[in-house]
Amino acid sequence: MTDIFKGSKVPNATPEEREFELRAHLGSIWTGGRLFIGMYTFMLASLAFAYFYLRSSNNAQLWRPNHVTAPTYYGFFIYGFMVLTAILAVYGQWRLRKGEVADWQVAGWTGVVSGLLALFLQIWEFTRVPFYPGSSGYASTFIGFAVMNIATIVVGTYWLETTLARGMRLRREYGPGAELSSHPAAQSFRANVSSMTYNWGFIALGATLFLVLFYLM
Amino acid sequence: MTISAERPTEVAASVAPPASKTPWTQRPGWMSQHLGTAMVAALLGYLLGHWFGNYVSANYPYIANSGQNNIANTLGLTGMVLGWLLGIGALNYPLAKLVGKDAPAESEVEGWSKYFRYSTNHKVVGLQYVVGVILFMFTGGLLAMAIRTELLNPTTHVFGPGTYAEIVSEHGTVMMMMATSIIVGPLGNYLVPLMIGSRRMAFPRIEAFSFWVFVAGYMVIFSALPYGGFTTGWTGYAPLQTQNGPGMISYLLGFAVIGLGMMAAGFNIAVTIINYRAPGMTWSRVPIFVWSMLATASLLTLATPVLFSAGLFGLLDKTVQTAFYVGEHGGSSYLWENLFWFFGHPEVYIMALPGFGIAAELLPVFTRKPLFAYKVAASGMIGVALLSFFVWQHHLFQSGINPDMRPLFMLTTEMISLPTGFIYLVGLGTMYRAKIRWELPMLFVMALFFNFLIGGVTGVFLSDVPVNVTVHGGFFVLSHFHYTIMGGLLFAFMAGLYYWLPKMTGRMMNKSIGKVHFWMMFVFFNLTFFPMFIIGLLGQPRRVFTYASNLQGLNDFASISAFLLGTSFLVFAWNLVYSLWINPVKAPANPWDSLGLEWQTASPVPAHNFDRIPVILTDPYHYSEPGAPALADFGGGAGASTSAASTESNPA
Repeated sequence: MTDIFKGSKVPNATPEEREFELRAHLGSIWTGGRLFIGMYTFMLASLAFAYFYLRSSNNAQLWRPNHVTAPTYYGFFIYGFMVLTAILAVYGQWRLRKGEVADWQVAGWTGVVSGLLALFLQIWEFTRVPFYPGSSGYASTFIGFAVMNIATIVVGTYWLETTLARGMRLRREYGPGAELSSHPAAQSFRANVSSMTYNWGFIALGATLFLVLFYLM
Repeated sequence: MTISAERPTEVAASVAPPASKTPWTQRPGWMSQHLGTAMVAALLGYLLGHWFGNYVSANYPYIANSGQNNIANTLGLTGMVLGWLLGIGALNYPLAKLVGKDAPAESEVEGWSKYFRYSTNHKVVGLQYVVGVILFMFTGGLLAMAIRTELLNPTTHVFGPGTYAEIVSEHGTVMMMMATSIIVGPLGNYLVPLMIGSRRMAFPRIEAFSFWVFVAGYMVIFSALPYGGFTTGWTGYAPLQTQNGPGMISYLLGFAVIGLGMMAAGFNIAVTIINYRAPGMTWSRVPIFVWSMLATASLLTLATPVLFSAGLFGLLDKTVQTAFYVGEHGGSSYLWENLFWFFGHPEVYIMALPGFGIAAELLPVFTRKPLFAYKVAASGMIGVALLSFFVWQHHLFQSGINPDMRPLFMLTTEMISLPTGFIYLVGLGTMYRAKIRWELPMLFVMALFFNFLIGGVTGVFLSDVPVNVTVHGGFFVLSHFHYTIMGGLLFAFMAGLYYWLPKMTGRMMNKSIGKVHFWMMFVFFNLTFFPMFIIGLLGQPRRVFTYASNLQGLNDFASISAFLLGTSFLVFAWNLVYSLWINPVKAPANPWDSLGLEWQTASPVPAHNFDRIPVILTDPYHYSEPGAPALADFGGGAGASTSAASTESNPA
């Protein structure tokens, strides 16, 4: 979300001002992460609204003729990889808090791979849907969901990857173990990890909701 | 936290580095990214995207031999936006950090050319927005002149019916896009950090991104014209949306792109206000304009994603042949109406709240009285923002809502007039028994109160189902929303510009030309739009290029007034050119004797706004209060000598 935080850029800032700006910066990452969830919620809500609106309207009896369903195996695998990424992000953050930087890195990079697999499968699923996009209300909303899900996975995985890359930059600039230090850059890094993890948790929650709507109901 | 303790009193002077004397071709940054590279990259992006779209989809059964490839058009315009962002440098950092690199250093460019670059300085972004929204406004205004020209005569036509509908649609869409950003963009970005005592925005790159995406959205929506336009009006209702040609792509994508900019701007401003308030600036000391920005930013952040989704669904209908809005295939045209207005009605308050904020901020300055019932005004703004999510279905009274639901949404719509009325009464309470200084900004504020009263009262009428059903789709509604948006927001924008431009540019706007501008704009605005109430009640529908011959007199009157209203904007443009370049008059440090924090820092504003982060001691509205505490402790930095007490000792 932000560059490596190197403190106030004002040349003659006092220590108190530096402290104030650091607190504001950390607060911004916290607030920004939660506000981002708010934006994402409204976006998902608009899709859920479309789903239930078209389902209850059932115009021309074409909400879901013959109970067509998107490929369930793909759906479960995509969901599984997304939840795995979220679990790995949570686990990684937990280990980071315990001081186990290597565990965070392994969990994080595994999460990136898992996110990329979910992305690949979601795109691949497009070529395997057993219905024409405009054949029914269900088909339309599923295509809308798939496009949104691609964007969600891309943004989430990008955030995870860039957070890991930032950790690498921290070590390069401040030495081994920099992620755990009290340096402002490290505090900023940890705040970012926290926000990113929180967002992945929410992504998993959204994925669960739409798994039920599109594959199980 | 007390920042004032042990602060050095010697503060480095905030003087801009001297301008480079090297030839312009050798100046740093010349070969870097700027508006020129953005334009070239946008063109290349369009061509590449369009080619790719054709390559991928030319053989699809519904595209082959149809003479229209919406996939190619969509990818072309998407490529244009991406190219634009790449060319200006907005994607440098997101791409660099993907591979673990630091952000590339920004070009160290001084002088006017920095306004043509991707800048993370909130003051530069604010001024970029000023130019951007004025450009938007003038192009939308030209389309309005075309509309009024056509309506001069019911039988002799300048345009065909289709072209007329396209002009009306483009005008409405452009103006709505512009109006969502007209105050948040220029004044919000420039002033919020200054008014809360911050040295920066929370996310400067997101702030810069919001502006350049806004410009990209402008290009996308105007691309509708070469594509043949669209005839849906600014609301883009299906099934007209589905039936329209490639111009509809520009509409849908344009709204989505502008929506991205709106979300980015709102997100950044909300986070900044919550986290970067100076020490001592409790919520009860936050300037009322900042409260309005917070309420607006919250709406922008939360309501716009729904518009974005609605636009995405529309684009999918046009490109990959989904049927979100096609009833015959299991979709529903009402789905668009619901999603659109779930964003669209909060959008009305996205436009209204900043206007209220400016009015409430300026009134104490020109009445020399404290703001009456500050907390009521702030809670009124939050109340409006919250309630605005619960009124959208009144737009569907006539077009598909379950009749049993009408009373509920009639009630919520009437309820929203309560917090709006609070804000209005706060203004009246502040003016009560005041010795008003009739400066230019105050004239515009007074005009806002006059105009918004008419717009607001007619709005209460329109919230009632019987009236709504009767006048729906006519000029009465058209006049109502012009009174609220143009009569409220645009007059507030002008008040804000005349008030804050001296801070932003260091130049005073010419008062005589300004008064000509004000009186022309106020008089001819009312002469243009008030007759439209009557025209509407007499039955003239919107978006139709002909009308009953007995309405020609009123229409001609409105058209001629509209031309003169348009001329008033030329007077404004002339005032800008005259005051800033032809006959510049240096602005005093605090020309209005304001207590606002933004006026207490040095002029021109230093690079980091405040040499010392101020410690706020009270709210900025203690006008004419003997013995009032100083506004803030500036720690010996810029503005240290300016406080409530010192300002009041020398009232204008």
